[in-house]
Amino acid sequence: MDFTFTSEQRELRKAVIDFARRELNPGVIDRDRIGIFPRELWEKCAKQRILALPFPVNLGGDGFDFVTTVSVFQALGYASKDSGLIHALASQVICGIQILLFGNESQKASLLPELSSGRLIYAQAITEPGSGSDAFAMRTNAIKEDDKYILNGSKTMISNGPVADRAIVYAMTDPRKKALGGTSCFLVSKGNPGFTTGKPMEKMGLRTLENGELIFTDCQIPLTSLIGREGQGMIIFNEVMEWERTLIPACLLGELERVLEECVKYAKERIAFGQPIGNFQAISHKVAIMKMNLELGRLALYNVAHLKNQRKRAALESSVAKLFISESLKQACLDAVQIHGGYGYMTEFEVERELRDSIVSTIYSGTSEMQANILARLAGL
Amino acid sequence: MSTKEIVREFISHEMLHDSRETPINDEDQLIESGIIDSLGIMTLLVFLEEKFSLQISGDDLIPENFGSINTISDLIDRQLRR
Repeated sequence: MDFTFTSEQRELRKAVIDFARRELNPGVIDRDRIGIFPRELWEKCAKQRILALPFPVNLGGDGFDFVTTVSVFQALGYASKDSGLIHALASQVICGIQILLFGNESQKASLLPELSSGRLIYAQAITEPGSGSDAFAMRTNAIKEDDKYILNGSKTMISNGPVADRAIVYAMTDPRKKALGGTSCFLVSKGNPGFTTGKPMEKMGLRTLENGELIFTDCQIPLTSLIGREGQGMIIFNEVMEWERTLIPACLLGELERVLEECVKYAKERIAFGQPIGNFQAISHKVAIMKMNLELGRLALYNVAHLKNQRKRAALESSVAKLFISESLKQACLDAVQIHGGYGYMTEFEVERELRDSIVSTIYSGTSEMQANILARLAGL
Repeated sequence: MSTKEIVREFISHEMLHDSRETPINDEDQLIESGIIDSLGIMTLLVFLEEKFSLQISGDDLIPENFGSINTISDLIDRQLRR
């Protein structure tokens, strides 16, 4: 397979890299310290049409294919040091893909224009206080009553949650059934009585991404809030995860590329024992592994991106990409701190933030252990 | 082999994790009995799409279509006729 970028993709990537370096990087150390979502930068990204990339033109999007979308998010991950903001953007696009794939015509027509313009912020809500990796042990329930559903329960650690105007929420609709068949997917809007959001939760990294609680207390939502069919929730979730485990690793691969470049630059400049530290194999071998993982990660990423572009199933390939790229990035960031020595531990050098931001990549969107479980099952165990 | 035989063989050999003595019946409820779970549905979809060279998406991706060997076979036959 040929994964070479087209000239259009190269031009888009260059424009995004220039934009991100110019607009998104200044002040990132302070934003990380304060831990605040940069709404004005979100709006700048929206004006750049980043959130519109994969959606049809007649639904407010720009109509690019998914491989191009992935290549742009890789470029964003590479050029923007604000990984929290990039994660917020990717989360929004994933919500849109969910609506595009499973929403009805009316939902697509009304929701996708506001989503792709960035005017309203979306969140996807699955995780609960008592269910993380076993997502479908969820307790949030939606009981159908006449012309409405009544939603009760809470979600936690939801990306974009505290700033969300709308949330795609998974809830049990039939507790008598297993999760496969008993779970459904709903759209809930800010201002809906019974729907409240918690404060942003303080966390180790991705501090410009706001994560928090969504609370539903006798929250009444119309039947038209249902996305897909009743009972289709787990299947929608599985499908959407294939797209998410492609788009998020695109950002991570871009970050890996940046970390590698920073390490090479530092290893050439930093002199120890009379020579650049890159001359020492203790350093150069770490860099070599980063380079190897970048190249392998690129193959894994664009393999799954091309499959999803053709709307093909990619459960195996998306788990491979997510597992490999996130683990590679985390290890690269640990090695980057070591290569930079004492400076790597200092905030000013920004390597320590890369490490803090990378830690959660092997947890969200299905932990590395859950990816391994999927791969083991698909291998026949 | 018929569609039903292919589906039955896959589920019997690849998805049953207990050593049951009685064979699985075509109308047995696969989801309710836990034979098909969240990971199992992924495995099944990968198998079906590869084996029958088709794509299952949208409105066909509903639990009812994967409830038993009968419903899975019906879904595949419907798709193959399209």
